[in-house]
Amino acid sequence: MASVTLKNIVKRFKAVTAVDNLSIEIQDREFAVLVGPSGCGKTTALRMIAGLETETSGEIFIGDRRVNDVSPKDRDIAMVFQNYALYPHMNVRDNLGFGLKMRKFPPSEISQRVQEAADILGIHELLDRKPKQLSGGQRQRVAVGRAIVRKPKVFLFDEPLSNLDAKLRVAMRTEISKLHRRLGATIIYVTHDQVEAMTMASRIFIMHNGALQQSGVPMEVYKQPANRFVAGFIGSPAMNFVTATLVADQGAYFVQAEHFRVRLPDVFSSRLAAHAGKPVIFGVRPEDMNEPDEAVSETRGNTVAMRVEVVETLGAETFVHLTCGSHTMVARVAVPDRLLTIGQEMQISLNMEKTHLFDEATFQTIV
Amino acid sequence: MSNGSRIAKRIRSTLFYIGALALCLPPVFVFVWMILTGLKTGVQNISYPPQFIFSPTLENFRAVFAQYNFFKYLMNSLIVAGLATGLSLLLGLPAAYSIAKYRQGRIGILILVARMTPFVSYLLPWYIIFRYLDLIDTYTALTITHLIITLPMVIWLMISFFESVPAELEDAAMIDGCSSLQSFRIIVLPLVRNGIATSAIISFIFSWNQFLFSLILSGPKTKTVPVAVYNFISYGKIDWAGIGAAATLIVLPVSIFAFFVRKSIVQGLTMGALKD
Repeated sequence: MASVTLKNIVKRFKAVTAVDNLSIEIQDREFAVLVGPSGCGKTTALRMIAGLETETSGEIFIGDRRVNDVSPKDRDIAMVFQNYALYPHMNVRDNLGFGLKMRKFPPSEISQRVQEAADILGIHELLDRKPKQLSGGQRQRVAVGRAIVRKPKVFLFDEPLSNLDAKLRVAMRTEISKLHRRLGATIIYVTHDQVEAMTMASRIFIMHNGALQQSGVPMEVYKQPANRFVAGFIGSPAMNFVTATLVADQGAYFVQAEHFRVRLPDVFSSRLAAHAGKPVIFGVRPEDMNEPDEAVSETRGNTVAMRVEVVETLGAETFVHLTCGSHTMVARVAVPDRLLTIGQEMQISLNMEKTHLFDEATFQTIV
Repeated sequence: MSNGSRIAKRIRSTLFYIGALALCLPPVFVFVWMILTGLKTGVQNISYPPQFIFSPTLENFRAVFAQYNFFKYLMNSLIVAGLATGLSLLLGLPAAYSIAKYRQGRIGILILVARMTPFVSYLLPWYIIFRYLDLIDTYTALTITHLIITLPMVIWLMISFFESVPAELEDAAMIDGCSSLQSFRIIVLPLVRNGIATSAIISFIFSWNQFLFSLILSGPKTKTVPVAVYNFISYGKIDWAGIGAAATLIVLPVSIFAFFVRKSIVQGLTMGALKD
């Protein structure tokens, strides 16, 4: 196993900068997830680590070895592709053993490693089938198996679950996490799905417009997003944002929006002074908006009257789409005892300790 | 199903078969007439009204081999068509792969222009060059000239096949330890074998039937069958029976071959039209 380091990596495709000065350090045996929306440069970054794309500038290290000029086959990595990329004309056994065969491993060792991988993934009965005869989930297992047999230093996963149905995706998520623990491997996993990132990663790297926005353990980026983009990207449903002004009044700070005013906790005060009187973006997660009796807040002046627009009942919880003047917000509430009706007014209490403020000009986090 | 819709369906299918018959009849008639001509005597062939009922003779076929050394011409055709097809695949497959992989559509168009240029315009320069190189009446000259027909065909047919191979497969092959050439040979080529078969068959047929280049650049040693048939027409006489027998002999192997591989040809020609 090995660490992976990217130093000031830039990748340009003609006029488009796909990866912009990316510097990350992935520790040995870490499960690192690069996450971001489509076109954020995460797959390009992964392909550069694999050697399938050449970086415009910057350096890539696998362990202590600089691999910029090393061909993909000599980087000691294995990659699982979004579309599985199984060789259609070979059966599963040959697909699994192909990488070893190309590296001139003796047939007995190839066979032994293929058996091991088949044991780990439970794909014994599939070994003589062609990829065409497999379901999506089975193909995915084989694709993972092909990576395992190689026993590489680093595993690269490029959105491997995005072609699976929702149920299978959840199952495979768990399996890949287990596999990581079992193999003790360094894994770099690319996804656009923040749920995958949150559930699997030991560290998340959030990218946007080719640049790294924030890295950290999942709960850290969830609780302390570095900027508005991260705050909006991590969490489902997404954080609610309201453009407002930060108002200082008799030593206390308030968020003054078009249709409501809420008081910020005093513990934030030291960080707020410089922004008093300035426009800010107020952010609150749906899970921090509740009916007053459920609110966990020591702060007063945190209740806002809102109108119910849409109610989505999921069973264990309910998403309520609310409006407050021109603002629209989503609240995640426990299943209410009474039926919520469209158009009814509802008091919503905001858990102010968990709210966020972002600079309106730079989008950086204030609190 | 109501009576009315059943009748409408029957009318539609009747009309379809009438249309299909009308389309197929002319070429089939010519084909049958050619075979019949080969089975008639010279007198029967020029009799009027034409004879449809007669006692067939294989004399013309015997004569074609006995008098005209037709077996040699068949071998010449086989050698030239085989070489032209083989060389087209050897050069065309990597060319088509590169055009598809590196999106060199312009080069593709240039190759197409070479194919679209009237063949007759190549003749004079070629004749001069080959005479200068002392290559007239050699397999080399014929094979090279046939490449102008077969090579663009292989390239153009194969581009769409190579485009249909997912790039991720090649990426996977590179990570699995293949060089570019190995990935082409071990991963990509087996995946486009339908296309290779189709383009080989079509190239072979086109080269086999090529007349103009062979007429000018071949000689007694390398004469191919279409040119040999042309020799049945002399200044004072047209040997219709001989032409019929010889033409049947030329067309038959290719037709039988095409009949057996027709599925693969249709598959090859329509591939890429629909996504898998």
